Amino acid sequence: MKKIAVFGDPRMALEALARFDKETCVAVYAAQNRHDAEFIGAQGFASEVVDFRDDGALHAFGIGVDIDYLFCFFAADSDNVFLTISARTLDKNLSIIATVDDPDSAEKLSAAGANKIIDPYEITGRKTYEMLTKPEITHILDQSVHRRHTLNIAEVEIPEGSWLENRKTSTLRLNERHNLILLGVVDRELGDRLHFVVGDKEHILNNRDVLVVMGPARDIKSFKEALIRTDTA
Amino acid sequence: MLTRLLVYFAYFLKTSTRYQNAKHFFRRLLVLPQSRPKAYFDVFMIVMVVISVFLQLDEVQHQAQPWHGVFEACIVWLFIIEYLLRAWLHNDSHQIVLDHYERSEYLEIPFKVHKVLKAIAVKKIEYVLSPPALVDLLAILPSYRPLRFLRVFLIFRLFKLFRYIDSIKLFTQILSNKRFELYTLAVFLGLLIFIGSTAIFLFENPESGGHVNDLFDAFYLAVVTMSTVGYGDIAPETPGGRLVVMGLIFAGLGILSFFTSIIVSAFNDRANDLRENQVYAELGRHEEIVIICGFGRVGMHIAHQLARHRQPFVVIDKVEHHVANARRLGYLAIHGDASKNEVLAKAGINRNASAILCTTGDDVSNVYITLTGRQLNPAIRIISRAYQPNNVRKLYQAGANHVIEPFEIAGMVAAEYVGQPVAFDAIVGIMHEEKEFVLDTVHAHPNSSIINKKIAEIDFDHSKLMLVGVISSHPPHLKQNESYQMQDRHFYFNPKSYFEVQAGDQLVVLGKQIGIEYFRYQIEKSRLKIGRKR
Repeated sequence: MKKIAVFGDPRMALEALARFDKETCVAVYAAQNRHDAEFIGAQGFASEVVDFRDDGALHAFGIGVDIDYLFCFFAADSDNVFLTISARTLDKNLSIIATVDDPDSAEKLSAAGANKIIDPYEITGRKTYEMLTKPEITHILDQSVHRRHTLNIAEVEIPEGSWLENRKTSTLRLNERHNLILLGVVDRELGDRLHFVVGDKEHILNNRDVLVVMGPARDIKSFKEALIRTDTA
Repeated sequence: MLTRLLVYFAYFLKTSTRYQNAKHFFRRLLVLPQSRPKAYFDVFMIVMVVISVFLQLDEVQHQAQPWHGVFEACIVWLFIIEYLLRAWLHNDSHQIVLDHYERSEYLEIPFKVHKVLKAIAVKKIEYVLSPPALVDLLAILPSYRPLRFLRVFLIFRLFKLFRYIDSIKLFTQILSNKRFELYTLAVFLGLLIFIGSTAIFLFENPESGGHVNDLFDAFYLAVVTMSTVGYGDIAPETPGGRLVVMGLIFAGLGILSFFTSIIVSAFNDRANDLRENQVYAELGRHEEIVIICGFGRVGMHIAHQLARHRQPFVVIDKVEHHVANARRLGYLAIHGDASKNEVLAKAGINRNASAILCTTGDDVSNVYITLTGRQLNPAIRIISRAYQPNNVRKLYQAGANHVIEPFEIAGMVAAEYVGQPVAFDAIVGIMHEEKEFVLDTVHAHPNSSIINKKIAEIDFDHSKLMLVGVISSHPPHLKQNESYQMQDRHFYFNPKSYFEVQAGDQLVVLGKQIGIEYFRYQIEKSRLKIGRKR
C-alpha cells in the first residue's frame, strides 16, 4: 500500500483524492484548519489538521516515517517551497509533487527537492488548446487516462516467469488476442524511457519491462491475470 | 401593368442569388473597408491614377505618344465603370420599390410609380452630390482633350487618391473630429489677419513712407509674417508697421503652437482607435481566427500554443496592462470588454472567428461572455474556464461547448503521477507533441479509396501507423462493435478486421507526423483518381 499525504488547496486536493486507487493507496489530507479538515472529511476522505511549519508535526503525521508521496497544493509558492524543503530534510526518498503559481518559482521548487512540478495554468492553457485543435483525441484520452469510462490506459509490468519474457513486441498482437492496443514499452535494458512500438521499432521483452496498453478495463485486468500463466502463448 | 412589372422585377432582384452575389462581390471590391479584394483594388487604382497624372503632366510640355491616348481611354472607362458601380452600390433601389409596394398593400392605398421613381432618383442624386462622387466625376474631365483648360481638373484625379488610401481618410476623419477647435482657431486667425493687414496698410502705405502699395500687399505681409516664413520681399519700414509685425509674429507663434497641439491631441485621442483599426484589418485577412477573451495566465498559455502552431488569434481584455503584455509579445490585441456585442462583432464573431475561449479569472465574466458569444453566433465553438466547480453548469447553460476547470485538471494530473507515471507522461507527451509520435484523426472523405473498405484491407503498416479506433456516427456499426459514446458519435476502440469504414468516419491513428501526413495524402490522391474516373 502506498501512503499519500496531501497538503494545500482543498478543492485541488479533493480532485486528487478522488482519483487515487483505493485498493493500492491510502491517502490523508493534511488540513491547515478545522474547516478544511471537515470539508474534506465530509466528502468521505481521511483528514487531520497538521501545521506544515512544524517538523515535529510533519514527522508525527508520517513524513519521514511511512509516507511515500507528498502533494503540495498550497496557493502560495513560498508555502509549497517551505513544505518541500521540510519534507525533503525528513525523507530523502519521498516523492514530492508540487503545484506552482508563478512559473519563476518552478526552479525554486526543484532546488527545494520537488520531483514533479505542476503548473495548473499551463495545463489548463494546453488543455484548452488541445480541445480546440483535437477535440476528439482530447475527449478519448481524457476519458481513458482519467478513467472516466471503461476504456483505460494502464501500465503493466512483466513479472518474472511470464510468457511474455523473450518475446518480440511485433509478435504479441495484443489487439487481436486481448483487445488491447500496445502503445509503448519501457525496455529496462535501455533505461526507464517509454518507447512507442509503432513502425519498425522492435523490443525483446524481459521481466520488469513495462507495457503501456490501452483498452477496456476488464480486458486489461484479464491480461494482467494472464501474464503469469504460461499457456497463453 | 407597369406597377406589376416593377414589383416583379424588384422581387426578382431581391431573391436572385446571382444578383445578390454580384452585388456582394462589388461591395467587397469597392466598399467594405477590411476586405482583401478592396485592398488589391485600391493599390491598382492608386497606380493607375499616378500613371495617368504623370502622362497628363508630360503632355503639357511634350507631344503626346499614341499609346497615351489608349491608356487615357482605358483609365476613363475604368473611372466611369467605377463611378457607375459605386452609384449602384450606394443603395438598393429594388428595396425602395418593395417598401413602397408593401406600404401601399398594407394601407390599401394606390401604388404610385412616379413616387417610387422619385425616391430612387433622390437616393441616386444624393450619391451624385456627395463629395467623393463629385471628385470621381471631376476626375474624368481632364481627359477631354478639345478643352485644354479642363486639365485643371487633374487635381481632382489626385483627390481621388483619398478614396484608396486609408491613412489619408483617417487623417481627414481625425481633423473633422476636431472641427470645433479648428473652426475657432480659423475665426481667430482670420480676425488677426484682418486687423494685422489693416494696421500694416495704415502704417506702411506709400504716403506714410512704407512700401505696401495696396490692401492685398498688406494682407500678404500679414500672412507671411504670421506664418513666421518672412520672404523679405516686402518689409515694414515705419516704427508703427514694425510694432504691428512684431505683434503678428508672436500671435503667429501662438496660433501655430495651438494648431499643433490640436492635431497632436486629436491623434492621441484616436491612437487606440488607430491601433485597433490596424488589428481589425489584420484580422480580416485571415480565413479563420480564434478569439481569446482574457489574457491572464491561462490565456497567455493558450496564446503561446496558438502562436507556436501559427494559428491566427486575437486577444480581448479589459485590463490595460494585459493588453500591453499581449502586444509586447507580438499578438493582436483589443482593449475592450468581450461581453459587449460590439467588441465581439468587431473581432469577427460573425465573420471569420471559429472559436471563442473565455479565460478570464472571473466566472461571472466568463458566463456573460459565453452568453454574448452564443447569442451573436449560435454555431461558434465556445470553450470556457470555470474557477468554481458549481459554475460549470451555468457555463454550459450559457452556451459553452466545453468547460475547463484548472483545479480539477491539476488535481487529476497530480493523481496520475502516483498511479502510472510512465503511461501518463507518454500520453501528455503525445498530446503536447513533445514526443515524435502523435495521436491524430484522419478523416474518411467521401469518394476516397478507404470508403467501404474493411479495416483489414487498409494498409496502415505502409505509413507506419497504428489504428487505435474509429469515430463514427454510422448507426449500423453499433450492432457489431463495442463503442464509447462521444456526444453525437461513437468511438469504436480497436475495431474488428471486418469493420467497414464509412464516409465521414474518423480514423484515430498513432504514429509519426510524417506517417500521418503521408496516409492523408494517399487518401486525397485516391479521391482525385476516383473523381477523374467518374
